[in-house]
Amino acid sequence: MAGSQFIDLNWLAALQVVFLGFIGGTLSGFIGSGGAFFMTPGMMNLGVPGPIAVASNITHKFGKALVGSKKHGELGNVDKKLSFFMLITSIIGVRLAVSIMKVLFEGGEHEGAGGGAAANLYISLVFVFFLLTVSLAMLMDIAGSRKKRSAGPSTKIVSFLNRLYLPPFIRFEVADVRASLWVVLIAGLGTGYMAGTIGVGGFIGVPAMIYVLGVPAAVAAGTELYLAVFNGAWGALNYAYEGLVDIRLTLLLYTGSLVGIYIGAYGTKVVREVFIRLVTALIILLCVVSRAISVPIYLQQLGYIKLDPSYNPILNMISTAVLYASGIAGGGLILFFVFRAYFQRRRVEASLTRTPAVSGAAGQTA
Amino acid sequence: MCGRSAGIAWVEETGTQRADRGRSETTKIVCISRGSHGYGIELAKKLASRLGYACLAREALTDEATAAGIPVGRIETAIVKRRPLTEELEIAVDRFKAFVTEALCERLVSGDRIIYHGRTGHLVLPGISHVMRVRAIAAMEERIRLAMTRMNLSREKAKRYIEEVEEDRRRWVKTLYNVEWDDPALYDVVINTQHLSVPNAAAVLTEMAQLPEFQPTPASIQAVGDLLLAARCRTAIGRDARTAMVKAAVRAEMGRVSVTYLPRHAAQAAAIPDVLEKIEGIKSLICTVATTNILFLQEKFDPDSEALGDLIDLAEKWNAAVELVRLSAGEKPAMPDSQPLPVESGAREYDGGILEDDQAEPSSREEVPGLAETIDRLIRAGRAGGVRTLYGGPQELLQNLDRSRECSLIVVGDVFLKQPEMVRRRMTRDLIAVLAEKLRIPVVESSALKARYLFGPRQILALCGYGLAALLIYLGVFSFQGDVIAFLTSPGTLGRITAAAAVGVATPLVAWCLGGFYRNVLRLIRME
Repeated sequence: MAGSQFIDLNWLAALQVVFLGFIGGTLSGFIGSGGAFFMTPGMMNLGVPGPIAVASNITHKFGKALVGSKKHGELGNVDKKLSFFMLITSIIGVRLAVSIMKVLFEGGEHEGAGGGAAANLYISLVFVFFLLTVSLAMLMDIAGSRKKRSAGPSTKIVSFLNRLYLPPFIRFEVADVRASLWVVLIAGLGTGYMAGTIGVGGFIGVPAMIYVLGVPAAVAAGTELYLAVFNGAWGALNYAYEGLVDIRLTLLLYTGSLVGIYIGAYGTKVVREVFIRLVTALIILLCVVSRAISVPIYLQQLGYIKLDPSYNPILNMISTAVLYASGIAGGGLILFFVFRAYFQRRRVEASLTRTPAVSGAAGQTA
Repeated sequence: MCGRSAGIAWVEETGTQRADRGRSETTKIVCISRGSHGYGIELAKKLASRLGYACLAREALTDEATAAGIPVGRIETAIVKRRPLTEELEIAVDRFKAFVTEALCERLVSGDRIIYHGRTGHLVLPGISHVMRVRAIAAMEERIRLAMTRMNLSREKAKRYIEEVEEDRRRWVKTLYNVEWDDPALYDVVINTQHLSVPNAAAVLTEMAQLPEFQPTPASIQAVGDLLLAARCRTAIGRDARTAMVKAAVRAEMGRVSVTYLPRHAAQAAAIPDVLEKIEGIKSLICTVATTNILFLQEKFDPDSEALGDLIDLAEKWNAAVELVRLSAGEKPAMPDSQPLPVESGAREYDGGILEDDQAEPSSREEVPGLAETIDRLIRAGRAGGVRTLYGGPQELLQNLDRSRECSLIVVGDVFLKQPEMVRRRMTRDLIAVLAEKLRIPVVESSALKARYLFGPRQILALCGYGLAALLIYLGVFSFQGDVIAFLTSPGTLGRITAAAAVGVATPLVAWCLGGFYRNVLRLIRME
């Protein structure tokens, strides 16, 4: 069924997937929320059908989350009770996403519309709509917080939900919050659906936990990663059952992403928090632009618009160029800061020492 | 004198009697942590009246801090609205905590006797044994009734108001001190005003305040001096325009001040020595740039030990400061025969912990063999993060560790040295388990440091093993791509289930092997 949809991997394509994994991993380690927003469209630009790109990516996310959540667990950043409640609805969300994708993918094949153009269009539209909202909200938030000198993102949703007063409430000890069960279940459903559709469940799960439930950022990231183990496993098993997982792509993504994660995480130690948010928002925005450029291709393949098919490679090339530009610029910036800090650390002697009361000398080493 | 009457009430004594007794035999400070409409204020006022002490509310210090330029209101808004704190507000939190500590310690030093009441009353003077920490609670129904009367609210609104305020205060305590507000282990006594009237509760506390356990000891007096000095340094750093935005953590012990700050603040932090130059009582100052801290728990310190070498290597890799914590089990200095210290008004015994050279007592640095040399070695390595002495066992350690300070690792060295070998091992193991469970950070024995975090033969083996396993998997998949794809897209239910199971098993295996390989490579190039 889907075997014919798997791309032929030559050295160049393989290197590009490794590169996508590296940038995605670096961004993931840097912003603490998966790099699928870069890797999934990147693979689609390489000619990988959307559902296979999503399936291979969610499989990659499963193993990555398994390794990462162990570390978070050691640091006490995982609220298993919260994960459990979110998991109840998130597996429904994942299954829903897989089912929709399966229908669209097979429908596309039957129509002979470029191997799942309908599924590609669906993924791209969800991607553009959701991530555009996220990136613009982040940019507005950064601008707003700079102007108001406030502590962080808007709390309108929290205030609104508090006014609604939706019992029953559950206390989550590790996250140190008391939240409405309904809000938790809806957040889980959204996380699962987005993870299953475009592989970026963290983009809804982490902000929902932080800004809707009031979970501390570190616990939100750890809990989401723990949840991603189950979401990822569930998604991987579902997609694998449907024959949509290209394990080769998953392995190549790992080759780049697992080293990128370490470097990105190192970057968070040496870069200001507002800068991290700004870089993240801009990279997401560029990824959205890249994906939006591809939308006419799928519309043309489905016959919804009249466009000379000879433009498709050009649009795809521009889309790829924008995506790579965002990845290279963002990843390059992060790498610059990381390696600058790494080499500075080697040069700078840490202690400034002096003993004014005893010796009267203001000695210091630098 | 006080005595029981009919088993319920306490016989009142005259104000003069109370005041005289308070000045000569009781602890100098009582900190009351209170909730909304829980009779905490009433208890504080009554106790102050009985002891002849001044009553100081948290709100008064908050006003003083705001007047001093600390944005307390913004911190409160961020916490109440559940916003994550920005770095700017985290710095403001540090300044506010130091401001409160400084204000209280200065009152103590100047001879004031105070009843401090507020939500974090039990946390503002950590490690001072002669502070009596009281929690005042009341039954929910009574609190609701009080709120309805005082605020003219309906029952439902009053209940919700109290719940919300309680939640806000709990979050405040968690954010500022990283502990649970209602953890009874953090209090010396919990007073339930449902069962005990406010006057009788005050009488009980008056008696308690005279117990030897709440009398100043040389160690607790020294601790006040150290706290005051550290707080003064922190507020000075926050006040000075050059260093106001440096996220700095300050420790002081016996006049030796250590300041740690983040690498990205290195340029501004260069001014710290100048900023602190005018502060009296600093015997030495160590400024260390560090992204995190490692605690090293020991009873005795050996500057030439292999463990210390490993620890310095690790601190260099992590860009961490090493804070030495000297565990002194059962050696807490006490007054002879457990008698209360004869405390007179005035600042003499509270000299900020910094004694003149001609009358200086031996410092812990000088008393403990190897400690001075260990600190010097850490200073030379640029990894010194301060030193402190904690008395008692694991519970005392947990109570007195600053949980709000970022710490990535606790290394447990030679502790419980007076115990036989087997007992010592068991107690060390228990200590590690308790610390890991309560603090939720990695805790390791110093002997395991090399194997867990540094690069040695074991890591070389792991690197090769993980790398080889990953290589074999990759070779297998990419050499037989057609077969792999055919397998993954097998027709039929059984074929699909087999393919899904294979993906479910292979994926984490690859991630594990490759992740292990990369982790060891990065460890090899000292990039963690």
